[in-house]
Amino acid sequence: MNSTHRGLNRALLGVLGVLLLAAGALAAVAGTSRGFALAWTRTGTRVWARIQEELGAARILESDVSWWTAAVVALLLTLGALLVWWIASQGSGRSNQLARTEAPDGATAVDANVADQAVKAALAANAAVLYASAQSWRVRSSHGETGLKLTIQARTGASPTELMDAVGQVVDGLDGLLGIQLPVLVRITAGTRAKFSRTMRVA
Amino acid sequence: MSQSTLIRRLSRRETHSARSALSIVSGAVLLILILWLVVELVLSMTGNAPLTLSPAELAERTAALATDTLPAALWGAAAVLVLLGLVLVSAAILPGRKSRHVLANPRSAVVVDSQVLAGAISRIARNAAGLAPEQVTSSVGRKRVHVVLDPASGRAVDTEAVRAAVQKHTSGYELRRPLAVSVTNAQDTAVGA
Repeated sequence: MNSTHRGLNRALLGVLGVLLLAAGALAAVAGTSRGFALAWTRTGTRVWARIQEELGAARILESDVSWWTAAVVALLLTLGALLVWWIASQGSGRSNQLARTEAPDGATAVDANVADQAVKAALAANAAVLYASAQSWRVRSSHGETGLKLTIQARTGASPTELMDAVGQVVDGLDGLLGIQLPVLVRITAGTRAKFSRTMRVA
Repeated sequence: MSQSTLIRRLSRRETHSARSALSIVSGAVLLILILWLVVELVLSMTGNAPLTLSPAELAERTAALATDTLPAALWGAAAVLVLLGLVLVSAAILPGRKSRHVLANPRSAVVVDSQVLAGAISRIARNAAGLAPEQVTSSVGRKRVHVVLDPASGRAVDTEAVRAAVQKHTSGYELRRPLAVSVTNAQDTAVGA
């Protein structure tokens, strides 16, 4: 339910992959063909000489440093900042607020903990559920900006239909409690707890 | 966005990988490279000694890389680069499905781990066959579920009845993608049986 930019992830990984493949292909050709290796060095040396000329032509105030070098540093720092943003955006989108209504004499905000406590209390007595939690996430929908994710850890052998009936009642209860229908994602998982707890023998 | 579109979108996102781990690793590696380059550039601009390689030397070495390196080393580097490139490109192209199933529900997007389904199916199968929990193993794939029964030797098990019981229950799960059920008796395939 998080707002990770999945398309961006795939696009950037694809571009990086194609660049690595191209570099690999270049290295392979240079390792096979002596003529290509010589051409590489010839072109490379010429390009580097040209770059040095350009660097010399744009010195900052008679110093040894070129404007171009400063520009490259600025570009690299920008790229670095974008990379930090890319890394930080993974798994983002959690929110603490379930709902909010504005009225002339004040606003009412419902904390995400309300849903969490309600779900825990409603499913505490259910033998098929080992652990239940609710977390709100930012989701674009016709009902505002928030969505609710319910995570249910099921005991091994628990019937998905019965779990779904129990969770459906909880969702209906929340709908009534909040007065709005938030988008809901229900995750029924077999987490680590399921491995270490008893199997359901009857259901 | 209508409710059913939203449910479909949430279900899709929950059953497919976001490629977060690989993105974080690639981003971090690139970031380290860029920071190193910046440090070297700043050091050379201020006239300090380089950490490992000055930018000018780096450029000269790259320019003459193909002739200064042994062909075998170039080949080795090419193999590593191509391998890494293939990993990234396939991560970008392949769907990256997770071992999870979507249950049809009008109100919520419901996504269940295949392991949970396998546990439930095992329970149905062992109740139908009258076996102990350790004697039944189920594996749930994307399109089919396979149940293996391992009864005590000499005890007959009606695999067709077990298959019918499992089929009846799985069709009640309202899976978005129905599962084909197959049941085998491990005793039938055991050596010397």
